Amino acid sequence: MSGGCALSARELRVERGGPPAGFTLAIDALDLFAEEVLAVVGPNGAGKTTLLRALAGLEPACVGRVRCANERPVALIFQRPIMLSGSVAFNVRAPLWGAGVSRAQAARRTALALARFELEGFAERAASTLSGGEMRRVALAQAFVREPGVLLLDEPFDDLDVAARESLTLDLRSAIRDTGAAVALVSHDLGQALLLAERIAVLIDGRLVQLGPRDLVLRRPATPQAARLLGMANLLPGRVAARDGEGRAVVEVGPGIRLCSVSDAPIGARVVAGLRPEDVKIDVGRGATPIVGKGRVLHTLSDGALVTLQIDWGGVVLRTFLIAGRGLGHALRPGDLVSLAIRAEDVHLMREA
Amino acid sequence: MTGDASVFAVALRTLAVSGAALAAALALGLPAAIWLARRRFRGRHLVVSCVNAGMGLPPVVVGLVVALTLWRSGPLGFLGLMYTKTAMGIAQVLIALPLVVGISLAALMALGDEWHVQVRALGVRGWRATWLLLRETRAGLLAAVIAGLGGILSEVGAVMMVGGNLEGETRVLTTGILMYTQMGRFSEALALSAVLLGLTLVLAGALTALQQAERA
Repeated sequence: MSGGCALSARELRVERGGPPAGFTLAIDALDLFAEEVLAVVGPNGAGKTTLLRALAGLEPACVGRVRCANERPVALIFQRPIMLSGSVAFNVRAPLWGAGVSRAQAARRTALALARFELEGFAERAASTLSGGEMRRVALAQAFVREPGVLLLDEPFDDLDVAARESLTLDLRSAIRDTGAAVALVSHDLGQALLLAERIAVLIDGRLVQLGPRDLVLRRPATPQAARLLGMANLLPGRVAARDGEGRAVVEVGPGIRLCSVSDAPIGARVVAGLRPEDVKIDVGRGATPIVGKGRVLHTLSDGALVTLQIDWGGVVLRTFLIAGRGLGHALRPGDLVSLAIRAEDVHLMREA
Repeated sequence: MTGDASVFAVALRTLAVSGAALAAALALGLPAAIWLARRRFRGRHLVVSCVNAGMGLPPVVVGLVVALTLWRSGPLGFLGLMYTKTAMGIAQVLIALPLVVGISLAALMALGDEWHVQVRALGVRGWRATWLLLRETRAGLLAAVIAGLGGILSEVGAVMMVGGNLEGETRVLTTGILMYTQMGRFSEALALSAVLLGLTLVLAGALTALQQAERA
């Protein structure tokens, strides 16, 4: 984490409706740190938006404590930001008017915010005539004009094309760096969120199941459900059959199909072995990664940049990525036999759900 | 009716009574509409239904109720308001109030709860949030003003009952038109009608221009 604690939430509870269809958000502790981006990931209905609203003090049914470290405001950018009738400049200035900031200071800060998000050319345009991407920029300018200590972003990349996402990501990154704001970001686009995030919180059924540094959470998800959300596409149920000479767990994930894992799971434990697709290597005889067996290519799916391979390894289906259009990504066809190389460090064991 | 001076005086009185009644209806109706739009309480649906029903309230019934209340033997008879401009104003407020509340409420509710949440998220609270709300719904609110003004200016039954159409006192354009028509003095009736029509057109036109300019 980059800075001090900017926002600290304790024992947050939001209850909606009664059982059995009711929903409860229950967060025991969550801290946001200055200059740091926390990505909140979770399936639909997990409570991600409710969490952001609770942190912003906008959830009337919320009980618990949310404390900010300083006087700087908490700004929330909604998935579908509304525009006030009037010009873009009026919309960006509105929060300053709401806070009673003097006219001169408001004009200066508005001009800066418009410039930061490349909106100077739109300043006098009616906000209601903007495209979705432009409205998102206005919403960001509205947030940053307040010089927030905490910025909460709800699906900031929704409905944006690739170029707009990239440009918004870069603008956001520089704005966060310049202002030192603590950021919590909800996005169903994991890849986009990971471009900004230093930490990840996994929210499932209203509960934080994991919170930690990005790479650790990506490689060591707490549960199979979290693993699936985080792109760990190979989830192989099995049993710890033995320990090898180096004390590593040997997991049987299919008849005669065994994987080693650096794990202290006891022999006999029912586990799910998680393996990120990028950690399943196709061996062509030049790598140092140990070969675990041979598999047959079942399917190839290419989006032009990456080829996703499904490989049948003795009845266990593994997924891996190759770069499209070159080398094996170009050469491999369904039915081809390949050698599979997997490192024990990349095999993550989780308790069966 | 003798000459332009009298027509002018009747027109002025009409404007004064109707203007005061409209101002009172807005002063009461707008806060009520904002309150009804924002609050959820048991019986709210019933209140809103009553407001909507009130928009079609027959003015003569309003006149009758006000007359019975202000009549010398009525509950507020001691105030001595019967056959005064105040009595006419009260009747007009009661006629305009449901129109102002009902149409304003529809405009305010069209924004939806999410608008209020997002404005709060911008850090805008209290009177400033109310000001933004009024600004955002101004086209609908101006429609409420236009409807209220129309209801008041065109009203004749109630003001006749409680005002009495006393010359120099409570005679307004509509009651004057009615009286001259009944007397067969159509030229005076037509003159007052032309003034009333002109006033209505000018005021409604100005409000409509304001409404459309704000929307642009």
